[in-house]
Amino acid sequence: MSQKKYWQNLGELNNTEGYRKLVKDEFQEDLPFTSAGKTILDAKAPRRDFLKYLGFSTAAATLAASCETPVIKSIPYLNQPENLTPGVAQYYATTFVAEGDVTPVVAKVRDGRPIKLEGNPGSFINSKGEGTSARVQASVLDLYDTGRLRFPVETAGDELKELPSFEAVDKKITGELGGSQVVLLTSTINSPTTLQVIGEFLAKYPGSRHVQYDAVSYSGLLLANEAAYGKRTIPTYHFDKAKVIVSLDADFLGTWLSPEEFSGQYAKGRKINQKNPEMSKHIQFESVLSLTGSNADDRFLHRPSETGAVVLNLLAKLGGNVSAPAINDEKLKKGIDLAAGLLNENKGASLVVCGSNDPNIQLLVNAINELTGANGVTINWANPMQVRKGIDSEMEQLVKDLNAGSVGTLIVYEANPAYNYYNAAEFIKGIQKVKLSVSLSDRADETSALCKYIIPSHHYLESWGDAEGRTGFFSLLQPTIAPLFKTRYFQTSLLKWSGSDLDYETYFKEYWLKQLGDQSTLDKALQDGVVEPASLSFASAPYNGAGLSDAASAVGAAPKGGKAELVLYQSVALGSGAAANNPWLQEMPDPVTRATWDNYAMISYAMAAELGIKLNDKYEVEFQKPVVAFTINGQEVKLPILAIPGMHPNVIGIAVGYGRGKGAGRAADGVGYNAYPLVNGKGNTRSYFVTDVSDYKKTGETYDIAYTQTHNQYEGRVEVVREYTLEDFKKNPDAIPEYRKELAEDFAKKTGDFRNEGTLYPKYDSPGAHWGMSIDLNACTGCGACTIACMAENNVPVVGKSEVKRSHEMHWLRIDRYFASFRDNTEGDNLNVVFMPMLCQHCDNAPCENVCPVSATNHSSEGLNQMAYNRCIGTRYCANNCPYKVRRFNWADYTGADSFPDNQHFSGVGKLDEAVLMMNDDLTRMVLNPDVTVRSRGVIEKCSFCVQRLQDKKLEAKKSQDPSVIRDVKTACQQACSTGAIVFGNVNDQESQVYKIRTQEQNHRAYYALEHLHVLPNINYLAKIRNTSRPVGVKDEFAEKKAVEHLESHG
Amino acid sequence: MSLTKYESFVREPLVDGAKTYSTVTEDIVYTIETKPTRLWYIGFVLSLALLSFGVYAIYREVTYGVGQWNLGRTVGWGWDITNFVWWIGIGHAGTLISAILLLFRQGWRTGVNRAAEAMTIFAVMAAGQFPIWHMGRVWLAFFVMPYPNTRGPLWPNFNSPLLWDVFAISTYFTLSLLFWYSGLIPDVATIRDRAKTKFRKLFYGIASFGWTGSTKHWQRHESLSLVLAGLCTPLVLSVHTIVSFDFATSVVPGWHTTIFPPYFVAGAVFSGFAMVQTLMLITRKVMNLQEYITLGHIEAMNKIIVLTGSIVGCAYLTELFMAWYGANIYEYDAFFKYRLAGPYGWSYWIMMTCNVVSPQLFWFKKLRRNIEFTFIMSVVVNVGMWFERFVIIVTSIFRDYLPSSWSLYYRPSIWEIGFYLGTFGLFFTCYFLFSKYFPVIAIWEIKHVLKTTGESYKAKMENLEKISAEEFYAETHHH
Repeated sequence: MSQKKYWQNLGELNNTEGYRKLVKDEFQEDLPFTSAGKTILDAKAPRRDFLKYLGFSTAAATLAASCETPVIKSIPYLNQPENLTPGVAQYYATTFVAEGDVTPVVAKVRDGRPIKLEGNPGSFINSKGEGTSARVQASVLDLYDTGRLRFPVETAGDELKELPSFEAVDKKITGELGGSQVVLLTSTINSPTTLQVIGEFLAKYPGSRHVQYDAVSYSGLLLANEAAYGKRTIPTYHFDKAKVIVSLDADFLGTWLSPEEFSGQYAKGRKINQKNPEMSKHIQFESVLSLTGSNADDRFLHRPSETGAVVLNLLAKLGGNVSAPAINDEKLKKGIDLAAGLLNENKGASLVVCGSNDPNIQLLVNAINELTGANGVTINWANPMQVRKGIDSEMEQLVKDLNAGSVGTLIVYEANPAYNYYNAAEFIKGIQKVKLSVSLSDRADETSALCKYIIPSHHYLESWGDAEGRTGFFSLLQPTIAPLFKTRYFQTSLLKWSGSDLDYETYFKEYWLKQLGDQSTLDKALQDGVVEPASLSFASAPYNGAGLSDAASAVGAAPKGGKAELVLYQSVALGSGAAANNPWLQEMPDPVTRATWDNYAMISYAMAAELGIKLNDKYEVEFQKPVVAFTINGQEVKLPILAIPGMHPNVIGIAVGYGRGKGAGRAADGVGYNAYPLVNGKGNTRSYFVTDVSDYKKTGETYDIAYTQTHNQYEGRVEVVREYTLEDFKKNPDAIPEYRKELAEDFAKKTGDFRNEGTLYPKYDSPGAHWGMSIDLNACTGCGACTIACMAENNVPVVGKSEVKRSHEMHWLRIDRYFASFRDNTEGDNLNVVFMPMLCQHCDNAPCENVCPVSATNHSSEGLNQMAYNRCIGTRYCANNCPYKVRRFNWADYTGADSFPDNQHFSGVGKLDEAVLMMNDDLTRMVLNPDVTVRSRGVIEKCSFCVQRLQDKKLEAKKSQDPSVIRDVKTACQQACSTGAIVFGNVNDQESQVYKIRTQEQNHRAYYALEHLHVLPNINYLAKIRNTSRPVGVKDEFAEKKAVEHLESHG
Repeated sequence: MSLTKYESFVREPLVDGAKTYSTVTEDIVYTIETKPTRLWYIGFVLSLALLSFGVYAIYREVTYGVGQWNLGRTVGWGWDITNFVWWIGIGHAGTLISAILLLFRQGWRTGVNRAAEAMTIFAVMAAGQFPIWHMGRVWLAFFVMPYPNTRGPLWPNFNSPLLWDVFAISTYFTLSLLFWYSGLIPDVATIRDRAKTKFRKLFYGIASFGWTGSTKHWQRHESLSLVLAGLCTPLVLSVHTIVSFDFATSVVPGWHTTIFPPYFVAGAVFSGFAMVQTLMLITRKVMNLQEYITLGHIEAMNKIIVLTGSIVGCAYLTELFMAWYGANIYEYDAFFKYRLAGPYGWSYWIMMTCNVVSPQLFWFKKLRRNIEFTFIMSVVVNVGMWFERFVIIVTSIFRDYLPSSWSLYYRPSIWEIGFYLGTFGLFFTCYFLFSKYFPVIAIWEIKHVLKTTGESYKAKMENLEKISAEEFYAETHHH
């Protein structure tokens, strides 16, 4: 035998102990849970077994379930791109830009497709958090919008003729350009490079101009600031620094300027615990119930025509030298007194904002903020906002010029006055007189369709670019995907037409190289996504009160309202209506009305009674709503109504942003009524209310409104919603712990082990992780971003209006909205609104699990209530037995994942709308998250706590052998929440935030919904606390009885 | 008919008319050996039409999804499970009659037991359609069967009442079928023996399993009947108990009730007898069997109806009492706010009227023995019992714990109605075929209770009794 020995290292040669251990453990890596001292392999079903079973059952079920497997050709990369591993996501910092709005985001890109957006935590605009709005969340779907134009076209009547190449277009257009005045009409542009490009373009054609036009105008605010502070901009607001917030018609949590930023700030002042029971006070004056009003501590109603009077009275009470008209409404008067008193007490720590577009009113508001010392504290002039720049008179002038024939060329980008201008007819007439009209928008929308050429621009996720949302705060765009279609930067078009050889990409890079110095700094900036100062600075602006008395007298002389008045508002989901072809947004229930896919007239209960509409059970359980004919400005407008508490009795609210034309896309077509023509353009600025609603009467017709919540009260069910006034909470912070203690005693009489008793079934341990969530009802504003984030992350199907109205909506996470007292008492000012995000509670003693005949829904050792879609046979028993009603059934083939061919087209009973079919387009399906199964018809689905994210983080922790990595895991809803209302984590980990909230920080507010059922939910809520002297909550007869018994037995 | 001293004054005869063994056979097999009447054809075609409509309704539902029904996220079960429980309940009378009454030696059962057993089987067949086709992915329905498999093996969830249903109903169906068929064998043999055509000989020959009528056969047959009756007896109680567990073991207020098992069983017997009445009244008329299904039968069954109807009424009131006494607002609301009143209040009061109030009229003997009234009541009771299931299922889940999820008004779609009508089609198609090809009354059992010896003695003695003693003496001793 040979004496030769082959060895790879000295360890092997000497056979050391360390080497032997290395060989033994070569492939063994435990999940590094340290807390419980056990590993995941100690669990009853170890991971390997689980995977084994999963693999087996999937394969078996696939074989069993599908006789015919479609052949899908997958072609591997011939040359795999560097840094790209198929199946591993990449993240790029970029920026959401739309109509002036700027949100720095991080895009998740899977296999070359952007599929999810999160806020860029490096930006002050996002308050250094990841929260975003629903619209930002949904904008990733716009990239794959089938309504986008796929190539440049020339319009001929209704037809769109493809143009062969951009060169051909350029040749045609440059031939026609020049000679006469060129006007570039855009929405607000705050990109420095774009503004420079525009400057160069305008310079090339002397006499031309750039008109910025906002669909919903902020001219009043801009002009007032110009008069008072010499700057035609909007300051940044700091709601977090305000102890008293007074809002006059401003929906700053929903639609006003920068709601997700404000929500984050606002929530800082609303999060309280028993150790520090202090919170800000928010008073809202408004006419229709807005999202912001729903969150207010105290709310006072006025007619829109009275806004000026309210402001004047407030100003006068605060010592302003103005004469205020008398206010007859006692409640409103009290409200003004209350607000004035609090503002006086909290000088330097208060903020008054106003949603009016009247410069005079805004001037008065500026004066109030001066008196209360907000300038420089809660109102910051150091880096004003650049998100809205449109001045109404400029647009007015443009329409006049167009009709006068003095404009030769009109180039439109991201502006759609043919749809959203109050006087669209005049604009349409005007544009037809223009010699050359070019649209650079992404689709043949109402305005583009009137232009001669449409040269579609890239989506922002396909673009390089920059944005300056706040002065001096830059955020950069980088493409996350190659352009899907034959589209071109609109800036490139302008560059070409101004005779430059550069395209915008080069232009952009050259600009930023110059700004930042060198390539590596630019690379770093692109990676960060933002170029911002290291810290926030605060500055005040010198105030000039010269115009105040004129403004006061102008406001005082404003016309009085008629029989009723109309308020036009933006819906939280759709905003101005530009994103109307986004089915996610259309299907997002309105936070206040819970209606989807429509606009309608919101009216008060009093008006409903006057109209003879009985708000009885029948009204509640039938989606056919009465259609009312309103005479607005002498014109009859027929709209379905929804009666909502907390509306001013004589005010009607209608959302703008609906009623888009065919060109907007398949989903937007035919949805709702266009309310923009009702906007009042008579003054210097457009105003979003109408004082003259002379009549309203029932027509006898009905209209189907698809709403997702029929009942508005929580019927005294305090086990569901717990709310207290701040005063009560301070006085008796132990109410919840005492209730929970009694429950625990009830459930565990014998052993004292609360979790063990109360069920026949054995108790299972959760070694390793046990996932839990905490939702703060004080921080939640109800904005709905989480709902959309969940849809995007989990491939939640869109079902369309026809199916929503049959209660078939699929949202895994919904926000329950309760008007917190009984119907009769909710009218007017005494309204308490509760927003309660409701999702699968992942009960440890889940009623759904033991009723499933095939164990398709079962419990993981980590406390997850999980669904094996392959196993589900669709008996729906689990959904019936779920006390939280969070389980969703696939009633039809919403996703196209079914093995039955051609079953999406049916009629008679139910119907799949165009929007559903659009979501099934190959293009739109590119947005699907490959980590999450697309569910087929006939199975139940529900919240999984984003299990794919949990697995991902667990793998990461395993690789790095660092359990603390798991602490970073975030569910999609949590990540999208601007207010930090949702906290998620491993409750076995004593360092986790959720553990701390439950046991230390918030143990006096933490409760579990329907805890008395002993289903052991894994989500806790933090009770809602209101800073008000109004009665809050409902009479809790059971608790009172208990208290009496308690007294009797002990007293 | 005047009674003579040789007759019992206590009981009325179980079979009317002067029947002999031969006429019994003749009467009962008459319809089998002749061409069906026009009425039969009309009924059969109508049933087939309903069945086809049901098949089409199911086709829609399977192809396009359960969305073809008007169920939603809150009301996940509607007409489907309502109909399921209703049909299952109907089946119960047959088992009660054939098994329990056999054990209690109730002679009157012989007139109705065959048809009632057939009804049980067809009703269970109709009932079984609903849990099968209500599934979202019915092609995977076999997942509920506990068979060895390569998935682990992965067993069904033995904690689920739905799985218990699978076992309860399949057991019930199997036993009922065996019981019914074993009872048929001697009669099938009778038909075989009378058969004149080749096909009939073959068909009934195979179907009679070589029955010769030997004493050994009869002895074994009797033992089997007793054994099967013994096995079926607990089923009468257990099947509907388990069906009630579908609701009782849940957390839904209005479902989560311990009273459900007895309440469901009583309701099942109640509706079952009503259905037997409906069918028997038609059958005896159409097939001219008034002498076999007598007013005595009808009255006996009406007594059971008033008894079980009252039990059910007690259960309703107990539920209400507990909802109040339990001081649980969820349960209180479910009963007093959303069941007695609210959008579906009307269905509760239909149920109360049909099931509790109107059957009380059967305390009057006159009404119990009135055929028209009985027929109307039998339909009313089954309408009421359908509404009972509807009330339990829909009005409990349409407004449960979270008011945010309370439902819109649920009304069935055409395909839900179609499915229900289809099961009527299935039931009656089977029943029509059964009545054409099998004896609807158990011939051999009727012959058991036929008092021929006494009757012929009576016939012989009748004239003698009328004469005086002297004449009698002369008559009997004149030789």
